[in-house]
Amino acid sequence: MINRRHRRTALAAGIALASVVSLAACSSGASNTGSTSGGGATGKDPAKFTVLTANENPALATELKNLAAGKCKAENSALPLVDQTVAQADVVQKITLLASQNALPVQFIAGTSMVRPDGDLGKNGLVLNYETALKKLGVWDDILPAAASTVNSVYGQMVSLPYQYNIEGIWYNKAIFDKLGLSEPTTFDQLMSDAAKIKDAGYTPFATDGADAWPVTRLIGMYIFRSLGPDAMKDIQSGKAKLTDAKYVKAAQEVQDMAKNGYFGSGFVSTNAAQANNLFLTGKAAMMYDGSWLLSNINDKSQDVIGADNVGLMPFPAVSGGAGSIDQWPANAGAAMAMTPKSYGPKVAAWLKCIAQNYGSQALQDSGIVSGFKINTPVKNIDAPTKMVQQKVSGIKQTVLWFEALMDAKSTALAQSNVSLLTTGQMSAQTYMSQLQSSIEANK
Amino acid sequence: MPEMTSTQQLVATNTAGRSRVRTTASRRAARILRRIPVWVLVAVLLIVVLYPQFWVLMGSFKSQTEFLSSPTWSLPTHFDLSNYVEAFTRGNVAVNYRNSILVTIPSVALMIALGVAAGYALEIMIWRGQKALLLLILGGIMVPGQMILVPLFIVYFKIGITGSLLPMILTYTVMGLPLTTFLMAAYFRSVPRELFEAATVDGCGPLKSFFLIGFPLMRNAILTVALVEFFSVWNDLLVALTFTTDPSLATIQVGLLSLNDQYGSTQYGPLFAAVSINIIVLMIVFIFLNKKIMAGLAAGSLKG
Amino acid sequence: MKRVFGDRKTIAILLGPTLIVYVLLKLVPVCWSLGLSFFTGNTLSGFTFIGFANFVKFVGDPAAVQSLIVSIVFAVLATVGQIVLGYLLALLYVFVLRKGSAFVRTAVFFPMVLPTVAVALLFRNFVSVGANQGPINDIINFFGGKSVEFLASTIGTMGVALAMTLWSSMGFYAVLLYTGLLDIPDEIIESARLDGANGPRLVRHIVLPLSMPILLSSVIFSLNSTLKVFDSLLALNNGGPGTSTSPLTLYMYRTAFDYGDYGYGSTIALVLTLLCLAFTLTVFRSSSRKADA
Repeated sequence: MINRRHRRTALAAGIALASVVSLAACSSGASNTGSTSGGGATGKDPAKFTVLTANENPALATELKNLAAGKCKAENSALPLVDQTVAQADVVQKITLLASQNALPVQFIAGTSMVRPDGDLGKNGLVLNYETALKKLGVWDDILPAAASTVNSVYGQMVSLPYQYNIEGIWYNKAIFDKLGLSEPTTFDQLMSDAAKIKDAGYTPFATDGADAWPVTRLIGMYIFRSLGPDAMKDIQSGKAKLTDAKYVKAAQEVQDMAKNGYFGSGFVSTNAAQANNLFLTGKAAMMYDGSWLLSNINDKSQDVIGADNVGLMPFPAVSGGAGSIDQWPANAGAAMAMTPKSYGPKVAAWLKCIAQNYGSQALQDSGIVSGFKINTPVKNIDAPTKMVQQKVSGIKQTVLWFEALMDAKSTALAQSNVSLLTTGQMSAQTYMSQLQSSIEANK
Repeated sequence: MPEMTSTQQLVATNTAGRSRVRTTASRRAARILRRIPVWVLVAVLLIVVLYPQFWVLMGSFKSQTEFLSSPTWSLPTHFDLSNYVEAFTRGNVAVNYRNSILVTIPSVALMIALGVAAGYALEIMIWRGQKALLLLILGGIMVPGQMILVPLFIVYFKIGITGSLLPMILTYTVMGLPLTTFLMAAYFRSVPRELFEAATVDGCGPLKSFFLIGFPLMRNAILTVALVEFFSVWNDLLVALTFTTDPSLATIQVGLLSLNDQYGSTQYGPLFAAVSINIIVLMIVFIFLNKKIMAGLAAGSLKG
Repeated sequence: MKRVFGDRKTIAILLGPTLIVYVLLKLVPVCWSLGLSFFTGNTLSGFTFIGFANFVKFVGDPAAVQSLIVSIVFAVLATVGQIVLGYLLALLYVFVLRKGSAFVRTAVFFPMVLPTVAVALLFRNFVSVGANQGPINDIINFFGGKSVEFLASTIGTMGVALAMTLWSSMGFYAVLLYTGLLDIPDEIIESARLDGANGPRLVRHIVLPLSMPILLSSVIFSLNSTLKVFDSLLALNNGGPGTSTSPLTLYMYRTAFDYGDYGYGSTIALVLTLLCLAFTLTVFRSSSRKADA
């Protein structure tokens, strides 16, 4: 009996070991061939133009389908569009899996750090360099220079198409401002005194989505950019500065003070995006720091109770004596939408050309989406708020990113998970910054 | 011979009767009074359990602004069905329900079929190593499900079935199998062996013994386990997320996620509409199954 | 008899399919994944062997130790709550409500039907403060207290998470234990009653010992599923505030899939498996000791 059990256990162990080894061999990674490749259509056309978008962003899939039925009909009949979706929370896992099986769609949403030169996709040569590709196709001018510069800053290379181009600022309720005799503040101290007046009048100064954390870390980042200049976070990545330097810590301190003074309203830590939007759009809050994606809520009559004409957008004010200036708008180009050189064949290239030439006008016309593509066909009947944002976008000379933009995935998560401890006073500004700094250094 | 005279007997019985009547009336009153705390308790229990679901149902008729601005318990201003319409169009709810049903029912059926057979083999049949094998299967309950997702995805991809609902069905089956087998073995253990041995004396072959005796005996257990596994598969999110490659494969749980926008804002109305449909459909299934479960459980209690 | 109950062919037919599915789709992937705890990397970048380095890292990793504590605390509290509440409900059904229990039983079971995402949303709304306060804070105000922002503190979040778990699963454990209580023969209860045992004494001396087997199975089942809690803590407050309500499963998921280190993620999963094993064995051992006594 003992012998048989031993034999059986040995057999089982042997099988397990064999399968471990074989499966590990089967799924070993792709070879390293440098950061990007692109340019001429050197890849092989697949059977379909598969595009993987986020579940939560149906507008992109819709607009591509509209292009396929309209302006890009010819390209579509040569290579039909197939839309696939993935939940935003699942992107990194899905893409890693698909990439390891050589099954990446033609165009796909990817995680921010994945497409950087040192990311999993970047260092394995799995991302196409759009600049070279679009230049070869002669349509590089269809990408707005501001958008191209933002994409390059965030990802280190032009590996994403700017299907969205969002700026961020402080949306404010003009009626409340007029009622209290306030005008757009130009310095941070003015903003704080305005907030105090607003609070005394019984409104919530800032509607804040504390549950998602990033709306709060945005404020820390903006203070840093205004106080230390647009390269402040780049200096952290390169090691020239540390988050524990006095001026960086001050930014965290200011945001903590804002929370302490009640400028974010009560219960903001568990307020989610929908609730924060509602607070602002029903006039209970006077201001809200958010991006231009709020336009879709503002233009929705059922959500926007205060009226579209009542909504203004102002930039985050300057910090007195700071190295940054108020006209450096924070901008982002949405999630990374990359292509892989392996499937970049001539038919895909044709699709890319058609998208670059037509997406801008199509998206603006249909869904009021401001993208980083040039508007080649004039669009009529744009909503007033959208027009306002578009005008601001066209006047942008220099952009800044956001607090976690250049951080690795783990530090980004830490920055966001700790901020609620910072704002509720459970963690000091010094501790917040030093923990974050250690994480950045550990994950370099 | 100290017998009671008939008079004494008559007096005795009468007195006893009268006191019995008095006690019955007061006892009935006392019983009702004693029941009041019970009724209060049950009422509180029912409110705690049912109110939130009622709240979800009411929420499905509210617009986003109305939901966020008016107090939580307020009733909707009008009962329009626009949220349901939106759930069906943008939320793709019909396809999601179809997928959920197509995935859950085969998985549960497979789990039960395989689990009951295995439980029988591991508990009723006699052979060497059965205890060890049972423990090995029990060990399967202890491993977190996330760990098998990646290797399974790779395997399914290599054999080319990732474009269908098959990966989900297979994965759910294997994830529910250890618990089902273990529970079935436990229920089999509670049945006295004499029942099975009697059947063999009657000349029943081993396989026949299983189908004619074992399987039917487990009717209650099967219904209970099926119910548990049904909900565990229906409400699962992680496996469905991993194996859903395009929207036509999404189950209802994945579909609910798409009612968020990319910046984290949730469309409450359509979300509650989708969940309310979930509640109503499952309530119907439940009421239908409940009769069977009640009959099964009652039969089981009579047996005891 | 041996011929019938020892028949190899029948065993193979009955056990075979299960065993094949189990080995191919569970055992092999689990061994592969757990074997990877000696490596680092992911499926895209490849794996490199690093021996026991991951385990050493785990012991020294404050986030890992914190998730371990969160998992254990949640599992113990949730299990105690679920089993106690479930048992009390089962007793209510059997002894107090008797025939009329069907409706209450179904109603209390029903929360199990709701998806975790919806339940978390529900509870978030019920405990919210500020402009659109939820009923819980309204009740607190009614009794004269100040509104509490539950989700801003660890204890508050944990409390809400436990309430959420109990709300949705007490009905399930009630039904499970109820089925077990039904198996107790009526004669035993009657004879105990005649002997003068009533109410709590009846429960303690007769009902409890007789329903021990199903109680133990329920405890094991509950421990194993609460140790692997994932959806509820994630959906409620994203493992926050900070990472103070992140259980091992969430930490493992983030490490393997968000930060791309599948090897370390496997190590965390291995620790979790060992934890489940430890708890299960403890319950088994204490139960067999009780049986011996």
